[in-house]
Amino acid sequence: MNALEISHLHYRYHDGTEALRGVSFRVLPGECIALLGPNGSGKSTLLLHLNGLLPENPSGDGAVKIFGTPLAAANLAAIRRQVGLVFQDPDDQLFCPTVAEDVAFGPQQLGLGAPAEIAARVKKSLAQVGLAGFEARATHHLSHGEKRRACLAGVLACEPKLLVLDEPTSDLDPRGRREFKAMLRTLPATKIIATHDLELAVELCARTIILDHGEIIADGRTVELLADEKLMLAHGLERPHILHHLHPH
Amino acid sequence: MNRHWHNHAPSPTDSWVRRLPATWKLGVALTLILVTVLAPPAGWLPWFVAMFLFLLVIIAASGISLWFLLQRLLLLLPFVLGVVVVNALAPTGRANWLAIALKSSLCLLTVMLTANTTPFSELVRALQTLRVPALLITTITLMHRYLFVLRDEAERMRRARASRTFTPGRRFQWQALSSVIGQLFVRASERAERIYDAMCARGWKSR
Repeated sequence: MNALEISHLHYRYHDGTEALRGVSFRVLPGECIALLGPNGSGKSTLLLHLNGLLPENPSGDGAVKIFGTPLAAANLAAIRRQVGLVFQDPDDQLFCPTVAEDVAFGPQQLGLGAPAEIAARVKKSLAQVGLAGFEARATHHLSHGEKRRACLAGVLACEPKLLVLDEPTSDLDPRGRREFKAMLRTLPATKIIATHDLELAVELCARTIILDHGEIIADGRTVELLADEKLMLAHGLERPHILHHLHPH
Repeated sequence: MNRHWHNHAPSPTDSWVRRLPATWKLGVALTLILVTVLAPPAGWLPWFVAMFLFLLVIIAASGISLWFLLQRLLLLLPFVLGVVVVNALAPTGRANWLAIALKSSLCLLTVMLTANTTPFSELVRALQTLRVPALLITTITLMHRYLFVLRDEAERMRRARASRTFTPGRRFQWQALSSVIGQLFVRASERAERIYDAMCARGWKSR
């Protein structure tokens, strides 16, 4: 079964902007996919569809299927249990006073067990992202890198099968970026990562999808797509330097 | 980030007042405030003196400097004065304007003392124990959490404006301020939408 199946997905915002124009692709379980594209290409809009935050009233027309379940109002809860969405601005996601409360929010909402069980989940997911012992810390006093990790822990606590990340390494310092990437690599879930960090795409994702003007421009092996200088420049991207080290000429 | 004026948790000194259960502190504070507010105009002086002495003892025990509390009281004084002036000018209330000034100041002092000896997350838990409606608690929690974010955002906008302001003038400053406030409002409502989305993504039941 496909982890994700999108067929002819269209979306138009209220102001008339056509954000997605017939997007179709499939993701197999266990894949790690980089979603690239210039600003305003429709990446974030696409990601919001994966968790049922868009469209406003999902009709269940089968344009988006997650592990075989079509996106419809009736199965939103089931879909949100399977898809973990990490937002771009950690301050949008961390809304509880302490880290432990925030990480526990998802499992509590989804009714995943008794308080003791949830506390165990919180501990486990904090350890997974390298924030063991941060339970009682105030969320607004964390560093940016720590906030990112706390956000990810909050999503991992729901044990999603599909992990969707919106620009996870933007405004992290080089060390934060390196550590975050190393941690992402250890997570077994199927991953879709929207990013401008081309090194991340090369290092983590075997497959890349390039989106521009709400359409899929290319879908294929990361090292091949990113080495195509003409394609990259045409869509606001560039050939990353890291490729020189992977394929010495 | 740690030295801003609004940052009450955690308070600088550890004391037995700080270690008391938040539910007790909140209960005592609410009782004191309620009794003070409801105290009849006649014969209130002994109660006020007793309460002031009690608060002084707590202040001494908590290790919070009196100056710190007075500064904050001063900040809130315009509101107290507003109420006092309105009352002093009222045809019937001329006699109790002093009582109202004292009442308001004592209540404010009690609130500040509670807030500065109790970490915010403990206060929220105490409210839960006291069965305050969940919606109200969520609202308070979110407000506390995003005050910091909004404050930082306002500060960044102010700085960006200041860096491009070449003609200092009062009229221009007021104009700039009003547009910053407007922008902040728009940004806050957009952020609220994103926060709501993020909450829904983790299973928040909206419908």
